[in-house]
Parts: sequence; structure tokens; C-alpha cells
Amino acid sequence: MKKRYNWTPYWLILPSVIYLALFFAWPMVQALTLSVWDNTARLRLHAEASTRSAIAGSLPRGTPIEVLERQGNVLDPDDLGQSNLRTEVWFRIRGETVDGQVIEGWAPETRVRVRSTDATGAPTTGTIRPRIGAAADPLTSLYSEPSIVSEVVGRLEANTTVTIDELTTLELWYLIRGESGGEAIEGWAPSRYVQVYSDNVSGRIDSGDAGELTLRYIQAMINDRFFWPAFWTTLLLMVIIIPVQFVLAIIMALIIQQQLRGSSFFLYVFAIALGVSELAVGIVWYAIFTQNGYLNSILVSLGWLAAPIPYLTADTRYWIIIAIWLAEIWRATAIVMVIVVSGLQAISHEVLEAADLFGANLWKRVRYVILPMLKPSLQVALILRTILALQVFAVVIALSGGDVVTVLANEAYRQYYTLRNVNVAAAYAGLILLLSMFSAIIYLRMVRSHEETQG
Amino acid sequence: MAAIKIENVTKKFGDFVAIDNVSLTIEDQEFMVLLGPSGCGKTTLLRAVAGLGMADSGRISIGDRDVTYLPPRQRKISMVFQSYAIFPHMNVYDNIAFGLKMNRVDKVETDRRVRQAAELLHIETMLDRYPSKMSGGQRQRVAVARAIAMQSQVLLMDEPLSNLDALLRLEMRAELKRLLAEIQATTIYVTHDQIEALSMGDRIAIMREGRILQCDRPTIVYDRPATDFVGGFIGNPPMNFLDAQVQRHNGSVEVLIGDFKLTPHTLIQPLLRAYDGKPIVVGIRAENMEALAAPAADALKVSVLVVEPLGAQNLLTVKIGANTVKVSTHPSFEVAPDQNIWLRFPAEKIRWIDRDDGRVLYAEAA
Repeated sequence: MKKRYNWTPYWLILPSVIYLALFFAWPMVQALTLSVWDNTARLRLHAEASTRSAIAGSLPRGTPIEVLERQGNVLDPDDLGQSNLRTEVWFRIRGETVDGQVIEGWAPETRVRVRSTDATGAPTTGTIRPRIGAAADPLTSLYSEPSIVSEVVGRLEANTTVTIDELTTLELWYLIRGESGGEAIEGWAPSRYVQVYSDNVSGRIDSGDAGELTLRYIQAMINDRFFWPAFWTTLLLMVIIIPVQFVLAIIMALIIQQQLRGSSFFLYVFAIALGVSELAVGIVWYAIFTQNGYLNSILVSLGWLAAPIPYLTADTRYWIIIAIWLAEIWRATAIVMVIVVSGLQAISHEVLEAADLFGANLWKRVRYVILPMLKPSLQVALILRTILALQVFAVVIALSGGDVVTVLANEAYRQYYTLRNVNVAAAYAGLILLLSMFSAIIYLRMVRSHEETQG
Repeated sequence: MAAIKIENVTKKFGDFVAIDNVSLTIEDQEFMVLLGPSGCGKTTLLRAVAGLGMADSGRISIGDRDVTYLPPRQRKISMVFQSYAIFPHMNVYDNIAFGLKMNRVDKVETDRRVRQAAELLHIETMLDRYPSKMSGGQRQRVAVARAIAMQSQVLLMDEPLSNLDALLRLEMRAELKRLLAEIQATTIYVTHDQIEALSMGDRIAIMREGRILQCDRPTIVYDRPATDFVGGFIGNPPMNFLDAQVQRHNGSVEVLIGDFKLTPHTLIQPLLRAYDGKPIVVGIRAENMEALAAPAADALKVSVLVVEPLGAQNLLTVKIGANTVKVSTHPSFEVAPDQNIWLRFPAEKIRWIDRDDGRVLYAEAA
């Protein structure tokens, strides 16, 4: 009999895989791409003035160019709103030649003066403009298509009355030449990518239509004056918060584990802070530390202080750090405690009794039995806490306004929201992700739990 | 010298009395088995001795030290737990050495004792292994090795064999017995398995509902149970109980099982006189009845319900009045269900049980 493969688990997991791909992996790849991908880095030049023609080469953004020729091209109506467009309008007109023949064809807007329009504002009649200058051709050519390279249908004299049947908007294309990598490249490009100077023969590539890997956003991030303060503050907060949290959490968990009267009450009290939002915690501690806050009022009313101390100012940055430290410990120790409590509950009661019976006092039980057996839980808690510490944000905003003391998450926010610099914000986000992953790997290696703990 | 003295110990969990004023003395180097059904308080009593659950009242002493309220680590005892309770994050060596390390025994001595204990339990080749990579039987050996490496004068064992499969249990039983004879510790061994108790203990204390019903040598506990409960709990099959009626006849006492007349042993007759005209329970073990294929004057005719050949013996189930009785016969005694056989009750093997309090009556001089 053929062995039937059990697909049910895969069907069950499929929705989560789709969910992860759609709402996690895809946005993350997109966001990280932003930080290293410059999507207007190069402009592709075409062999002819058409998007369908072959690519003649590409020039990086900012390259100085000379403009050799220009030509109008039918514009996709969707592109009409595009900035930097150089356009010209062509009319399809009908008029009588000198020899009494009625001809019909396309002429550029510059050759026709509109005399009347219909209710929607569309031109209906006009006259052919006279040409200025003796050398100029007195006649105006009509073309079979809205393009000067198309066939000439006939010619009209100046001031001939014409009816305007249709109009179309053309985008100008330039035949340009520029140098890239020591090589001269020549080709056609739409006006929207090109900035032409007022002399009409020189210009530069304004933006590109092809992307390229770049480090400039990362460089911009590192060169930002807030980068290193944010980086070091984030690390400093991690270093001073996490160890204290772990010691406190383990002590709290051991207290709860003692099964004393009211120990479940302790668990609830300790866990209250878990339910409070990060920003609310920040505001609570702001209310304590601000100049007219609880701390100063109490100290002054007790007579221990003559005047309120302004804690949260640029000159007393360490006070802000202390306030953030207290707020974070108050807020996030409980999550570690919950993990440690669950880890402790997984330790068999008889194992702890055996340790006691074989001569281990409380400290030795913690040191030789409880902590080693908690390793997997501690590892989880450590990874979780480090990731959360790297994301610390609202507390810092509340206590420092985001300027005096700043952290990486705050800088990502500043770049994205205040400075509208999506790519640099993405670089910050990428850095936070990288640090999270790096620390997780370090923990997994450092606090490596023996295979034996899964016994 | 490490005799264990338990004096008037009571332990309650809320309203539930787990141990009810128990006193028990375990002599130095004695192997005492606490036997009873689950919930009888045997483990609670052991834990009170270990210090893992303090007694509410009473006194426990080990040797000449009063340990009633000492924490476990100061009692100088070692213990084998039911779940083994070996440390999953330590290899076998560190597990065995744990107690020695905690008690600051020097390294050389620790090493010597660990290897010695491992050798006694035949696990000297597994010292580097972690418990997760070991079978239940091997873990059990580690737990025992850890306990004996301590060389404490008192060794407590809480159903150490209950998590092993039947074959391994049989093997470990004999091995433990040999081992414990060798290390000469005062041992308290808790079990609910009466065969384990009979085969291993110097003495057995049978417990029920927080009290010790009887405490004596295995043969005595088996042969002369103090109550019907002890008789019914010990032995496989358990003791048979038959409802009977006492009546006086010509100055001597007769007991009627239905129409069948039983003449009690002369030594017990004075005691039975008090039961004249009252019901009494006759207790007799399966192997103590004599099965006859043919009628005899002093034998009771019964019909066989079930025949179970067990190899060394055949176990018959017969009906006597309202009671079902198990009779053990020699395999050569051929019988089929629905056949009649005749049972003879040797007077000295019959136990007389008070129907009201379950007490077994013994003549003083027996």
C-alpha cells in the first residue's frame, strides 16, 4: 500500500504563511530596499525618440549634457501631471489653401492662434499665425501625424481661417549627449528627466528612470549629527536597563514561587505595568520628574530642597537618562518576570526538593539548579528584552522631547516624519533590525542551552 | 547510630488529616517499608522525616538529634524520589557529586565516592551522559547512586520503582536489596506494592487513613495480619473472607459457614465464646485451604467457577454462600469449571475476624 502523506498541517499553516509573506516579509523587503536602492539613479537613453526603441545607454543623475535636438512625442494622458514635463500641444486643423483646396492635418499649437472655443473651453476655430522675419517660410506645413517627422499633407498661408477638430499634447524628447565612465553616450530622453538650461543647448540629468544600489542613504544616516548620540544612548540604555531588570525579575519570580500567602496578588501587582502603554508610562514619569512634578513638590514640602530642581533639561541629561531608566524598569520588568515565572513553574518541584535535601541552601539552589534550568526561559526573555530596548521610543519622547536625549527609533521617526526622508528612515529601521538580529544570535550562542535541558 | 524515632506525629492539610498521631521507631540499619494504598499518608510521613513537609505536631529524631523542625539540608539524610528528581542540566557525574559538592567534600574524596556509587549501580560507563539521553531505568540508577554517594546514615526512598516497567522493577528490586544490605543505612522505603514490601523489608508498617495498622516482619504481617484490611491488602491473591456464625455446642464453640460446621482451634475457643450467637468473619489464605476431589467428612463441598492455571499453581475461584473465594491448588489437581470440589480448612490457618472493627483475634500464646 502506498504511504499517504499527511498534508493537513501544511494546509493549516498556509494562511499564516500567506499572512507572513503579505504583511511581514513583503513590507520589510520593501522598506529595507528603500535604504539601499536609489530608484532614480540613472537615466536610460533611447536610440530614437520613443519608449519602444532600443536603449542606447544610460547616464547617472546629475551628469552635464548637451542638447542636440528636440522632438514632441505623444504623451500618455496618465503622465500629464508629471513634474518637469516639457510639453507642446498640436491641433488637427482644416483649412483652405490659396488654390481653394481644403486640406486637413496636424500643426503645432505655436502655429495657430485660437479664435473661439466651445463651452468646455476646447478650441474650435483659429487662424494660422504669420511668421516673423524675412527669411522665414511664409507658409505653415500640416502634417499627417502630430509629429514633425511625419509626412507633410499640405501648406497653409498665414491668417487662413481654420477649424480645430482635435488637439493632442506631446512631450518633448531631447537628443542629448553626456559622458559616463569616460565614454560619450548619445540618445533620446523624455523632457521630464532632463533639466535644460536657459541657453537651450546645455543641461543636466535631473533624475533617472532606473535604480541602482547605493550607500548614500546609509552615509547620510551615519553623517547625521543625531546618529552617534542616538546610537550610544540606545546602547547605554540597554546596558543599564537589562541586567537590572533580570535581577529584579528573577527575585520577583522567586518571591512568587515561594507560594506565600498573597503571592498571586504580588504577581498581579508586578504585572500591572504590562498593561500600561509606553507613552502613558513616559508621561507618568514626566509628571514625576518635571520641574513642578511630584518629586520636586515632595522634596520641597519636606524641606529637603530649597527650590525645585529642573531635572529634564539639556544641562541635566543624566537626569533624563535616569528617568528613562526608571520608567523602563518600571514598565518592562514584568514581561521578564512573567517569562521567568513560567520557566520556574516548569522546574519539577521534586528537583528543587532534591537540591534542598542534598544540602543546597537557597543561594546554592538558585546558583546551581534554578538558574541553569531557567536558561531557555532567560534566553527568550533576553532576546525579547533586547529587541524591545532597541525599540524604546515613546518614553524617550515623553521625557526628553526627542532632542536632548535621542534614540535610534526616535531618529527613524524624525527622518521619516519631520524630515520626509524616507530612505534614511529606512536605513535607521534597517540598523535597528540588524542590531536586534545580531544580539539575538549572540545570546543564542552565549547562553547556549545544552541539549540535555530538553529532557 | 541512626535510629529514627517518630513520636506522635500529626500532619494536616486543611481539614484533611494526612498523618494521625503516628509513632514508629526504626532501628539503626533497619529496612522499614511503609506500605499502604494511595492517600494513606505513607509519603507524607516520609516527607515529614525528610523535612520536605514539616510535621504539625509530634517529634522526629534521627540518632540523638531532634530534627522535627530542621530544614532538609541539615538532617544529614539522602533520598530517592519517585520521579527520580535528577538534575536535567547536569551529567551523571555531576548529578551524583551534587550532594558532596554542596557539603564541601574535597575533590579527591568526591571523585572516589562518585565512582564507587556509579560502580555499585553499574553506571560507571555513563558518567558523561545527560539524563535526557538515558532510559527510565538508568535514570533511576543515577538517582540511587546520588543518594548512596552521600553515605548518609539515613536513606529515604519514595516509591523508587513505581515508574519502571514490570521486568525492570523485578530486577531492580533484588539489586536494591543487595545494595542496601551493603551500605548499611537506616532505610525508610515507601511503596504501595505489597510484593515489594514483603520481599524487601526487614519490617513493614501498613498504613491506612493516616494511621499505622500493623508494623512487623513480612512473614508475620502476612501470616498474622492485625486487621482484615492488612490481610486483604497483603498477599496475592488477598486473604479470603467468609461470613460465618458462632454457636455453642456441648461446651465447645462451633462456627457455621452455611450448613458447614467448622471447629476452631482450641487456643482460640475462649475468645470466640464472647461471640456466641453472633456473626464472625473467617479469614483464610488461598494456599491454606486443602482442595479434595472427593467428599470428606471435614470438607466443604463447593462448585468451581473459574480455573486459572498460573504455572506454579492453579488458582480456582469458588463460591461459598455469598462470598467468592480464591483457592490455590497444585497444578496436578485437575478440575474444570462447574465441577464440585471439597475444601478442608486447617484449624491453625484460620483467622477469626471481628465483623464490627475488622480486628483479627489471636490467642495470647499463639
